[in-house]
Parts: sequence; C-alpha cells; structure tokens
Amino acid sequence: MTSLTKMATFMDVNLVRYLCTCGKRLPPCRLYLCRHCLKLRCADCVQHEVDSPYCPNCLENMPASEAKLKKNRCSNCFDCPICGHTLMTRATSQMVPSSEDPSKSTPKKMYYMACSFCRWTTRDGGLADQSTSNGGWKDEENPEAKRINTLLESYRSIAQREKAEKERKKYVKRRSHAGFQDRYGLTSVAMKWKIQPAMSNLSVKETEKVPPAPELVSPVEDFDPLPSEIFSDIVQLDKVTYLSHRLNAPEFQPPATKDLRPVHKHLLVRRSLRCRECDHNLSKPDFNPLSIKFKIQLIALNHIPEIRIMAPATFSVNKETVVTFTLSNPSVYSTVVKLLPIEGDTDLDYMTAKVDLPKSDLVLALHDDTAVYDDGTKAQQEFKDDPRVVVFRRANKLGFAAKVTPFCKEGEVKVSFMMKHEFRNTAAAIQSEDKEPKLEWLEHRIFINLGRIQL
Amino acid sequence: MKSSVKIAPGAVVCDECELIGDITIGARTVIHPKARIIAEAGPVIIGEFNIIEELVHITNRFPDGAEGKKNSQVMVIGNNNVFEVGAQIESTKVGDHNVIESKAFVGPQVELTSGCIIGAACHVTTGEKLPENTVIYGAKCHRRIQRERPPAQNLQIDFLTKILPNYHYLKKVSKAQSPPK
Repeated sequence: MTSLTKMATFMDVNLVRYLCTCGKRLPPCRLYLCRHCLKLRCADCVQHEVDSPYCPNCLENMPASEAKLKKNRCSNCFDCPICGHTLMTRATSQMVPSSEDPSKSTPKKMYYMACSFCRWTTRDGGLADQSTSNGGWKDEENPEAKRINTLLESYRSIAQREKAEKERKKYVKRRSHAGFQDRYGLTSVAMKWKIQPAMSNLSVKETEKVPPAPELVSPVEDFDPLPSEIFSDIVQLDKVTYLSHRLNAPEFQPPATKDLRPVHKHLLVRRSLRCRECDHNLSKPDFNPLSIKFKIQLIALNHIPEIRIMAPATFSVNKETVVTFTLSNPSVYSTVVKLLPIEGDTDLDYMTAKVDLPKSDLVLALHDDTAVYDDGTKAQQEFKDDPRVVVFRRANKLGFAAKVTPFCKEGEVKVSFMMKHEFRNTAAAIQSEDKEPKLEWLEHRIFINLGRIQL
Repeated sequence: MKSSVKIAPGAVVCDECELIGDITIGARTVIHPKARIIAEAGPVIIGEFNIIEELVHITNRFPDGAEGKKNSQVMVIGNNNVFEVGAQIESTKVGDHNVIESKAFVGPQVELTSGCIIGAACHVTTGEKLPENTVIYGAKCHRRIQRERPPAQNLQIDFLTKILPNYHYLKKVSKAQSPPK
C-alpha cells in the first residue's frame, strides 16, 4: 500500500480498535487526538458545532441567518416528492405560434423537471413547462399563511410587552423610598407622586399599542357524515399519496398524487468538532463546500502508530499460533513503540486469548513523503532488528510477530494489550520558540479481533 | 439449430451480436454488438424503432416442462422499445414504448403493455399484465403510474444509425420482406 500523501486505511474494517476516553472502542480512522489534552476522542464525546449550511446539489454556501429565513432549504434545487432524489431539468422543444406571424409556429425550448430514479416529472404534478431553464418554479402559498401571520404578530407584541413589564418591575424594585426621603427631605407620599408620572408615561405608551387579540377560531361542532361511497368505491392505490409523501409537504399534505409538488432541497451542514475538556478545535473544515481540505485536522490516524493484522491465521484451542502485525508510523519524527501485556483482566468480552508480545522496544522510522520518489539508492538508517521479532521493515512500516494462544474453545479470538509510544507535540511547539518539540509518552489500549477459532 | 434471421431494410444490426433461431427484426431497429437473441422455443419477432443495447439477452425460453417442443410460443416485441445494457427479457409479449433499464430481469410470465419502465436491476417475475405507463423502480420494486409514456428515442436512433457502421461490421439485410405487424 503506497500513498503519495498521508496514509490511507480501510474505513469498514473494525478489527483493530483503540480505546477512546469515553470507553468506546473504535478504529483509529474514527478517532481524534486532542493535542492539548493528549487524549483520544471519538465523534460521540466531542462537541459538534455548526460551521455553515450548504446545499448538497449546487454547493452554495449560505450564512446561517439566511438559511434560517429560508427554513434550511435551497432556493434553486428541488427533490422529487415521491422518491426524494434530486430533480434534473430537461428541455423539450414545443411548437409555439411565433409573435410575428400567428399562423406559423416556431419551435421554442420549454423546460420541465424530471426525476431520474422514479421518473416523476413536473407534468405529472400538473405544472406547466417553464420557459427559463433555471427558475420560474413558483412556490405555492400556504393556505393558512394569513392566519399564522396574525397569530405570530399578536403573540410577538404580547411577548414584547411582557419583556418591557419585567424590566420595569426590576427598575421599580431597586428604588427604595426610604433613600429618597432622606436625600430630598420630602415625604414618601410626595415622592411616590413624583415618581409615578414618570412611570405612568411608560405604561401609557405600552397600553396604547395593544393590538386586538386574534379572533378565536370557533370549534367545529358537526360535520357531514361519512359518505357511503367510501365503502363501495374501488381504491386506486396509484392515485393516493403515501404518508411519507404527505409529511414532506406538511402545509398542504396532498392526498392525491396529482397534487404533489417538487420539494425544495434540504441543506446540509459543515460541522467543526471541539474537545469538551480543553475547548480546542479537533476538526475544522474549509469554508468552501467544494474543498475537502481541512484547516485543522487532528485525526488519530495521522499522529498515532497504527497496528494492522498482516495476514489471516488459523487458531485452535490452547495451540500457539504466530500472527504477524504491521506497525506504521505516520509522524515526521521517528518513534519508539513499547507493547505491554495486560495482567489480570479476565473479561472474556475483550480477551479470549493470551498473547506473547515482543519484549524489546520497536523503533519506527519517520514517515517520509519523498521516499516514494527514491530509487532506493539513498542510504537508509540502519536498525538492529531481532529477526525472530521483526519480520520485515520498509520505510516507516514494521512487521512484528506475536504468539497467540486462545484459551476459549469457540468463538472469536480477541487479544488486548497496551501500546506506549513517543509523541512529539508539533502543535504546542509552534506556539513557543522553534526548539525541538517536547517528547511525551502516550499510552493506548488496543483490542484486536483475529477471527474465529477453527473447530 | 438452424438460424433464419430476417432483417428488414433500415435496421442496423451489428455483426458481433448473437442471433440464434427464427428471428425477425423490423425496420430502423438498432442492435448493438454483444446482444444475444435466442429463439429457443419459437420465433422472436422484433418490431421497428427499437434500441437493443450491449449484453441484452432476449430469450424465448421453453416453458417449464415443455422441453423439446419447437415452435411452441412466439415472442413478440413491439415498436419504440429501449432495452438498456445488460437487460434480460424472457417475457413473451412486450408492447410499445417500453424502457427496460440496465440489468433488469423480466420473467417469462410478465406481459408488458405500453409505456412501462422497468427500473435498473429490478427483477419482475410475477405473472401479470402490467398496466400501461407503469414505472417499477427501487430495490423493493416500488410501482407508480406515470401520466405519459417515456419520451421517444428517435434522435438516438438516427445518431446510432450514422455512427455504428463506422466502427462495426453489420449483418446483411435479408432480401425477404419482414412480415407486416
């Protein structure tokens, strides 16, 4: 596996897992390393923050306030009301009587929208073709819009009045009549009269503007009984909408498929992740929705040595099997890795086999991007490797052998051990002077699932 | 099996397609290379203005238990149909203006009327006559009825008729006239 930039890994393979601080075990591609607390975090124990909403189809970035106005929908892109796929604009040419000579007809391009998956078109919904390619699809107004607006307005003004009253109360409470009496030598009653006009001014202003309360909707007392045709009419299932179709348009909820209209596409959100303990950003994407680069990207895969199972092996109870693992170093400094067994943990969920790890420290070379272009003539760093432990060594990768003895009769072979490695904190070093970044030892607990025991 | 293939004038049939059995191909039909039309249990009659793309298998199979009876059933395919890449048709009656998308499978008990669209990778095997303008789509083979039939592919047929002979050898048009539909 060679890659020109950072290493790639398998997102779906969950065999080698690292323990996160919240207790979950996840592969390193799903974990983040907080470089200030020096701990592993997963997507569930970090804080998600909204960076910016964007449309997944036209990739238009929208500021959050504008998105709120548009109810988090894109104004140009539509979804099929039946299957939810993106609608595509198609052109047909229609013969239209030309403006100069009414008797002749010239071809004119008309546009309609169609779904490429379920083949729904705007013509199915009864909408006429538009003459412009990108616009013209009008939104229908909510039939209850007027009533909702009057309700909103009246409640808004009530809320404003309540807020003003609260502030007034606070203001009035702070004044103590005893204090005024002493300062100005007037009786408290006179002071009250003096204060009141100032306050009453305020209250008069508020009460003047009280809008009339919205008229109450009278409850429906009775309605027509169920027509008997419901029982005798044949149900045409293709003309009736599904519940999911109706709920996609909650203002109209059309019961007939011919009334379905295109739905505006929902916006997605670019999010940035923040460590809960030290409040530093773990992952911050670029502002442009088109770009996949990150401003800050602290994925564990890019900082912590990764262990992978090199080849499958067959296991039987109480028999020792040699398994080879690869260890690769993603950082630009060489690392020393110590593998330590865990004593005294008999939790069968995590460990069903005993593992004999290499006792000596494993030294890993640094990850060199330019090594890909080398012909191999450059003199490489010499490492003294015990050939029984280190199976091979190439660039920043190392293969080591471990003996695994399962002590369960059946089930999956799981091993667990601790990995201690050197970590040079490059982020903190940038802030201080350009000395060598401080060396720290990080410890992680690793869980590996090696497969089932052969019976 | 002796092949007797009658190709109407105007049809474009590439030489690399496999035509086995008694097959009649109507005018202006385009058959791409690597298509297979096997008339095992009887003749196959293909209408006009059809597009049959690569790796399409149109098979007139023996119905279960009736092996060996030659000429027992006739497979009729109408006009203006599109069979996309990898489709497998065993149905004996296919009407007009249908679109069978890529890797779809239409079983022998199904009867397609007109304007039907069988979505990509959909397996339709129930023994029924699909109503007109049916669309079958999705992994669960959802159905819905369209208002109008799928648009005609005449532009594509013109384009293919011009381009395919530049890159492929064509089968010769037979002198006998195709039977009127």
